[in-house]
Amino acid sequence: MTTKTIVQSPRVIWTTRIIGLLALVGTGLTVWLGLWVTPPDQTQGDLVRLVYIHPGVAWVALYLAFGLAAGCSLLYLWPRTRSLFWDRLAAASVEVGVVFNVCTLISGSIWGKPTWGVWWAWDARLTSTAVLLVLFLGYLALRRVPAEPEVRARRSAFAALFAVVDVPIVHFSVVWWKTLHQGATVLNANLSPTIHGSMAWTLLLGFVALTLAFVWMLLVRYRIGALEDYLGSGELDMALLERQSEGVVPPAPDLKAEALAPVDDAGAAPGPRAPAEVTR
Amino acid sequence: MRYVISGYTVVLAILFLYGVQLVWRRRRLNRLVADVEGSRTPDRPQTGIG
Amino acid sequence: MWRDTLLMAGKDLRIEARSRVALSQVAPFGIVALVLFAFALGPDRAPMVKGAPGLFWVAMLFSSVLAIQRSVSVESTDGARDGLRLSGLDPAGQFLGKTLSVAAQLLVLELVLGVGVVLLYGASIQTFWLIAVSCLLGTIGLAAAGTLYGALSAGLRIKETLLPFLLLPVVAPVLLAGTRMWQAALSGGTPANGTPWFHLLIAFDAVYLALGVVVYGPIQETA
Repeated sequence: MTTKTIVQSPRVIWTTRIIGLLALVGTGLTVWLGLWVTPPDQTQGDLVRLVYIHPGVAWVALYLAFGLAAGCSLLYLWPRTRSLFWDRLAAASVEVGVVFNVCTLISGSIWGKPTWGVWWAWDARLTSTAVLLVLFLGYLALRRVPAEPEVRARRSAFAALFAVVDVPIVHFSVVWWKTLHQGATVLNANLSPTIHGSMAWTLLLGFVALTLAFVWMLLVRYRIGALEDYLGSGELDMALLERQSEGVVPPAPDLKAEALAPVDDAGAAPGPRAPAEVTR
Repeated sequence: MRYVISGYTVVLAILFLYGVQLVWRRRRLNRLVADVEGSRTPDRPQTGIG
Repeated sequence: MWRDTLLMAGKDLRIEARSRVALSQVAPFGIVALVLFAFALGPDRAPMVKGAPGLFWVAMLFSSVLAIQRSVSVESTDGARDGLRLSGLDPAGQFLGKTLSVAAQLLVLELVLGVGVVLLYGASIQTFWLIAVSCLLGTIGLAAAGTLYGALSAGLRIKETLLPFLLLPVVAPVLLAGTRMWQAALSGGTPANGTPWFHLLIAFDAVYLALGVVVYGPIQETA
């Protein structure tokens, strides 16, 4: 068959599944170790258990996801490496990054309540993370604007670029905001205690498990993006056209419109197709 | 300790639910693509209403 | 490039001079914001004076969004954007020109709001040069980042809601730096208090000006 389809190679499918499985196992193990096996900390007591997941989600959101999105955006903008693959990867990375970012803020806040007594503190790190979240969300909002894939890709890539260069500036400004403020009590409760033994291993496991979770989500989200683009783009029409030219296929009714029609909550397929004419 | 439990629960719930949502979206899209393509393969000609 | 900059800035400013949108709409908006802040903070002078630097800059930030939207919409009619692309004007010059024109309008606004803050809130300026420098650098930053994001959202129908959401988080450092420098200025603080913020604003301005010069042309090709 000469038709171009959106089929994924079995190797990719199985790699995705294995990574997902490893992520699940790793996370489960981290939870078990973190909540039961490891001892409470000298100074922080049981609260140290949150340290097994909070830095993990934070590193994924702030550095891995955002960094990847920035890199992909640059690769898209660079003419020699321009390919919608980078754009889709960037978009997937940002969306998953937003989820991890929210987890970072929530886990940080929950750690902060018993430690500082408040749900939210204008701590430099929390504040920077919050600003980062808004920057991420802006990127996603920009992507929702209907446009040709190339136009959308370009626009998003620029938006990512502008946001990325802002990140270090925001970081420094917020840190100085806290530390240079005259007469303020700097909330210094450190999130990283001196860690050793089983705690160190659990921390490492947490990082690895959450990174694997990110990778799995990234792969699935990328796939979703590719499928959505395929359904909404000319590639599907091309594939249908090729099949039609192979002889037996009647001209399609507007399946693309059907495919993109709003689906009810149960996820049922679109409504009954129009009767097809037979051409032999 | 209940802070720790709620922290773990919330974070893991968010990640898990997001993952489930991803799988659901992918499955739905795969079905759509299969519907559109599968009914148009040369060895399954349509006669009248599908 | 510099000649095109002046051409572009001149065009925008001349349009502004004739239509007087910034004067009749953006400035009053800023003043209204100051008045509303006064209502919010209560009749006592103390909170107002304390909050004056921050409120000034918040009012500036919101007003700058309006100014940017105006600057972008100037070119959305009659295929003006295509005309500019074909005109052979250096895109870097176009960017700098638009930034310059927006910055000029914002500086005038700052003058108005500054006077407003002094009069309405009873703030007293001790170190004037800190005020001047922070306003100048902050304005350049706002104008540069704003023009960039304005260009990015230029063709979009929902740019009214999208632009503030994109721009405001990015210029948060300007808000922080400007507020700190003003606080130092109002309380007679030493220049040392202002120095790291000074560096921050310079860095911010440099980054977004450089980015704009390089990227403004390619962005136009997408709109």
